[in-house]
Amino acid sequence: MVKSENKSEKAAKIVFITAACFSIVAVFAIVLFIFASAFPALQEIGTFKFLFGSKWFPKQDEYGLLPMIVATLLVTVSALLIGGAFGIFTAIFVVYFCPKKLKGFFNQIIVLLAGIPSIIYGFFGMIVLSPALKSLFNAESGNGLLASALILGLMILPTVTSLTKNALESVPRSYSEGSLALGASREQTIFRIDLPAAKTGVLSALTLGAGRAIGETMAVLVVCGNSAAFPDGLFSPIRPLTVNIVNEMGYAMGLHRQALFATGLVLLVFIFLLNGFLAFIKREKKEKDEANRTLVGGGAGEYIYKVRGMGSKILSVVSCLIAAVVVLVLGILIGYILVNGLPEISLDFLFGKPTYKTPTLLGAFVSTGWIILLSLLIAIPLGVGAAIFLVEYTKPGSKLVKVIRVFIDTLSGIPSIVFGLFGMIAFCAGGKSLFAGALTLSLMILPTVIRSVEESLLAVQNSVREGSLALGATKVRTIFKVVLPSALSGVVTAIILSVGRIVSESAALIFTAGSLPMVPSSPLDSGSTFAVLMYNFTAENPNMEAAYATATVLLMLVFLVNLAAYFCEKKWKKNK
Amino acid sequence: MKTIEQFKFENKIAVEIREMDLFYGNFQALKKINMTIPENRITAMIGPSGCGKSTLLKSLNRMNDLVEGCRVEGVIQIGGQNIYDKAMNLSMLRKNVGMVFQRPNPFAMSVYDNIVYGPRTFGIKKKADLDEIVERSLKGAAMWEELKDRLNKSALGLSGGQQQRLCIARALAVEPQILLMDEPTSALDPISTGKIEELCTELKKDVTIVMVTHNMQQATRISDKTAFFLLGEMVEMGDTHKIFSMPENKKTEDYITGRFG
Repeated sequence: MVKSENKSEKAAKIVFITAACFSIVAVFAIVLFIFASAFPALQEIGTFKFLFGSKWFPKQDEYGLLPMIVATLLVTVSALLIGGAFGIFTAIFVVYFCPKKLKGFFNQIIVLLAGIPSIIYGFFGMIVLSPALKSLFNAESGNGLLASALILGLMILPTVTSLTKNALESVPRSYSEGSLALGASREQTIFRIDLPAAKTGVLSALTLGAGRAIGETMAVLVVCGNSAAFPDGLFSPIRPLTVNIVNEMGYAMGLHRQALFATGLVLLVFIFLLNGFLAFIKREKKEKDEANRTLVGGGAGEYIYKVRGMGSKILSVVSCLIAAVVVLVLGILIGYILVNGLPEISLDFLFGKPTYKTPTLLGAFVSTGWIILLSLLIAIPLGVGAAIFLVEYTKPGSKLVKVIRVFIDTLSGIPSIVFGLFGMIAFCAGGKSLFAGALTLSLMILPTVIRSVEESLLAVQNSVREGSLALGATKVRTIFKVVLPSALSGVVTAIILSVGRIVSESAALIFTAGSLPMVPSSPLDSGSTFAVLMYNFTAENPNMEAAYATATVLLMLVFLVNLAAYFCEKKWKKNK
Repeated sequence: MKTIEQFKFENKIAVEIREMDLFYGNFQALKKINMTIPENRITAMIGPSGCGKSTLLKSLNRMNDLVEGCRVEGVIQIGGQNIYDKAMNLSMLRKNVGMVFQRPNPFAMSVYDNIVYGPRTFGIKKKADLDEIVERSLKGAAMWEELKDRLNKSALGLSGGQQQRLCIARALAVEPQILLMDEPTSALDPISTGKIEELCTELKKDVTIVMVTHNMQQATRISDKTAFFLLGEMVEMGDTHKIFSMPENKKTEDYITGRFG
């Protein structure tokens, strides 16, 4: 009896370790598969020629990626300047200047901004931003570098804001007290003490924002202008790396197809470089051996002290203005889509039988349902298992945990278009299918699942575990009967966050699950979710009415997900 | 740009508190406080935890303004000016009434930048001036010899006692007239405590010191005046040696002889 229990204990541990190591396997598999598919191209074209060639003419077998690399870097840097500045100032507003009653509202705004699908940002750019830029600057077309940078800036804003906010909130109060007690004004204290003290957090926020901007596909697809030439002005059409892949993958064959995988490989390299930089700034700093300061003599000895701080006062006003602009932009985005989209929604459009001429959303309901169900069925057990291993079976500071965590972070940073490429070669041997899409998405949501379950496991007090163990219960029994039930909130949060991510994902699904508005009859059929249909209606087969209506449905879904998350959080906070 | 003046003390009086009440929401934390704090002396405030002594200290540079729901009635005059007057400039007040906290709170910057933070805040920019201020302040806090070769090192790398003396030097850098110290040695070892007490005795030539302390030996060792607080009221104030040898009030006697607290 005792023996068999020992065996099951061991078996359980092996299961948990396997789940935890899955992220490592996934990252290696992605890198290997992409590399293997890209390698022939690098060999045939020559790595140097591929990276630094300036002409991309697939028909003449000329593959030079430099214009796209330059475009990606340029648009990322500009998005970072815009979104970074706006994000940091918004965070400053929320933490320091926001009236208490409005704090919850602003937090929800940031969550909402983060939850809006990228294809909707792209759509917004196409129908509102580009025309506005065109008439404002009298340009030939509003699309191009500036429009892409603005849309990407808006997209990375929530990332930058929420991480900067966390960093500012964790600056010790004693710092600001020390500064105020010296006579510095509140504004001076914020900009000269708190913000510099949160510097590491702000820098990681910007790095993650850069990662998001580099990997973003759908939002830039429709506003970038899509020309593989070097950008030479704010309105010059560009083509970032991601757009290069999504645009041509549909029909590419042979060397062309391999060259697109190589484009994905370059994207991966960029992301890994950013990850490395992130690890570098987060690592604990050793005290630097700087040369000592030598003082020069000759100070006046008697000083006139003056009331200063106009600069920080102005910056404070700027932060309030910027927060207002963010709310305004979100309001315009939602308002514009709802006003134009709601009249287009009809029962027939929602649930009617689709034909090629009159697409409906029926297929999207079925496909999205299947993909959510299947991805959760795969990712939740894996994620819970991994989280159990990380929290219940390891000692703090263990090397294995550190390694696993690096890989989980890496997995969460990989752009969705690269997941799409991987899913395409790994899961689509029998053609595109909902199942292949779900497999791909389960990899994408895994890091989120692990993280939120882990957090709630950590919140379970040790005394609870000890109480169960002291009664003679085995470790596995303790975990399943006592610990996991108290960590249920984490699992539910994980499910909600995952549903949000799945609903808004499009780039990873186009090449794995398909993009046509047909109704799938089984999970092995191809089918497209709402977000993918949205892509179809904006880019592949433009259909404005359908696009507005689908955008409206998507927005409603995002609202629902956010609402669910909000109420769950509220409920659990109350219970604690 | 407005120049920051100093308070003008008259009759050797630094602070004059009259009929002062302080509320946190509905809770009255201080009741009818009347107190006169003399210039260039060390005044100790003693009493059991929660008696309001730290609260009173923090109302002298209006750090209480940061506490939500805090309300002050009555008058606190420094150099004849009511510091709770609407016209009072907070920067002027806090520049002249410095503060040292219970736990050392150096900024995450170099030693040098910690000290010049205050002067820079008030518009002093010239390197020669800032250098002079650093040297003077560190000398004032008796740590010039210790730190003159480590000015560019992070202040967070110093020991707890050094950090606290650095915080004193930082406060001295803007030439305060009054220095408020909120149990400045309670987080420190006996040797560091000794150094800070010695420093206080040095400093009172130039600065008026008001110190909250839990340690009654400390009060007897360094303070000239002692005020005893209980349940939000000031029970008794007088020359330190008198308070500790023949207190007028029975409650004071009970407290200093260790019968409660």
